[in-house]
Amino acid sequence: MLLYENKKAKLMNFLKLGLNPFKKFVSTGEIEEESDFVKSRKNLLESLKETIERDENFIFPVIGDVGTGKTHLFWALKNKLYYHNTIYISLEKVSNKFFYNTYSEFVEAIGVEPLRNIVNQLCNEWGALERRFGFFHVVDIEKVRKAAFEKLSTKFEPSERSALIDIINGITTHQLDPYKKIEAEGWLLGELMNVRELSRLSLMHDLRNSKTAFTMLKLMIENSKLGTVIFIDDFEKVITMIKPIEEGKDLEDIEEVFDPKWLYGNKPRPETIVSEKVIHKILKLNQIKGLRIIITLNSLSSLEEIKKIIHDIDTDSIIKFMEPVFLREFDADDTLEFYQNNMRIFLENIKFVETYEESFDKFFPLNEKILRNIHKNAKGNPREIIKILIKIFNQIMFSDEKLEEIVLSYEEAY
Amino acid sequence: MSVVNSNILYDSLKEIKTEGEFLGSIITKCNDEDNSIIFSDNIKISNLEGIYINDGLKVGFEIISNKKSAYSKKENYHWDEDFSEIDYCVLIPSEIMQLYDEGQFSDAFPFTLNLLHTSGLYLHDFDFEINHLEFFKGEILKNPVSKILNGIIVADRVVIDYRGDSVFYDCLIVGRDKHENLNVSYEPLMNVNDKVVEYIIILGIEELKI
Repeated sequence: MLLYENKKAKLMNFLKLGLNPFKKFVSTGEIEEESDFVKSRKNLLESLKETIERDENFIFPVIGDVGTGKTHLFWALKNKLYYHNTIYISLEKVSNKFFYNTYSEFVEAIGVEPLRNIVNQLCNEWGALERRFGFFHVVDIEKVRKAAFEKLSTKFEPSERSALIDIINGITTHQLDPYKKIEAEGWLLGELMNVRELSRLSLMHDLRNSKTAFTMLKLMIENSKLGTVIFIDDFEKVITMIKPIEEGKDLEDIEEVFDPKWLYGNKPRPETIVSEKVIHKILKLNQIKGLRIIITLNSLSSLEEIKKIIHDIDTDSIIKFMEPVFLREFDADDTLEFYQNNMRIFLENIKFVETYEESFDKFFPLNEKILRNIHKNAKGNPREIIKILIKIFNQIMFSDEKLEEIVLSYEEAY
Repeated sequence: MSVVNSNILYDSLKEIKTEGEFLGSIITKCNDEDNSIIFSDNIKISNLEGIYINDGLKVGFEIISNKKSAYSKKENYHWDEDFSEIDYCVLIPSEIMQLYDEGQFSDAFPFTLNLLHTSGLYLHDFDFEINHLEFFKGEILKNPVSKILNGIIVADRVVIDYRGDSVFYDCLIVGRDKHENLNVSYEPLMNVNDKVVEYIIILGIEELKI
């Protein structure tokens, strides 16, 4: 039986192995964030959740400085919204082939099985499970396709009808033709296909085709049992892409190598065209019934600018912009809570038997004074706080100095 | 899953007769020589007008050219006063039909054989025996209907295993227990020894489409 264990020494040994509790200071849409939101931000999260559950077809701006945790908000929201598909979109990644890439992100977020359930449910609604003589399912694919087209054609614009036919063919083949099911599933998951593969499935396009991808996305979102939230990070990119070089500003000031006018004359730059296209597509996306869009921005002025750009591009568009919410910097207590949360998760991950609170003084191996100093030095910016913590822990892990000496030096340094 | 004495619309043995107009999945077993079965999505039972089935599919055997052949015929069926031709009539509960539906379109069996016209796979008859089990060994046949001792099996597919026994998948079973009560049950899989099988008929896909 173990009578006594020096838990502090045990934790220090773990740290000396090179395991840093604070690893990354930039959150991304790909790698899940485990740490929870600090208490002062929970109200913001709750109000966002309530709006999402109560309302639909809106754009919800979240405003916060660089490093305040806007991307982290996505993960907090994803973990909170059990009855919604929450999809992260980075404009940089999706601006080319917007709908195709957005659809791919949608499929990745919901998973293959729910996607199969949606198409199965659609086929049933189109009469695929009709029973002859009360018992026998006689699959008449053409009849199902006809019923599907009659049901859906009014919901789509005439220009989207050929895409709709493709989608009905793809879905019915996937559900009702066991001999082509595997190929049809590839198509459904967004696999790129050649003409021969497409003609075997009686299809014109794969989902790279913009209209096909949009129609598919619309059908899936509107028929998913869960609501859908699209989280567009760094929406400001739209402005930086669209804005030409400001008049009166020197090229040297904005670090451009050449003036784009030398190449394009008075014609719009390719970036401007791409940006306008992205806005058009987001406006189109907003028409999908039941969709909620959250955008993140660095400042309120950017939001006003975006509203103006949208108005200039499409004067007829009616977009419901919700009142923006602001992500503020951490206060000192938030910093302490954030540190403790991270240490707790770290101990859980390394399978440290006891919980953090039971085993250590409040902020071991650091102390409250250091943490308050860090907060002051980083001006409450979460990213800057993490950067400093990484630096301190690296020193604890890799230097030959004693912990007391390091702690003392940081108490004095900040 | 099994349901006892539920949704029995007519039972000649227990003298049950439920009046009304019923829609759903209805099995009517006839009292004729070949134990034929009628599948329908409707039935009307009344004391005044008798029993009426609109567009039912009757499945059984008939003698053609001195040979017994399986048939399935779509017709309207009407019995005025004499119901002796009917053994029982059961409406399959919707929760059982839901299980049956979920078992359809299985990815595990993409290569099933659909026969175009209704044919007898097996008939246990001293004079007119039919046995194609050996020929179809290892194959998966769609839409089998079977009469087994006191029961009826309607399945999505049947496989003839290496012993020559039939294995039914996604099956609805209707039959009488030892007290002659009618039971309805669903089994995802059922292995049946050919010694207890009275007949197996494979329904033709073209005849179902009519």
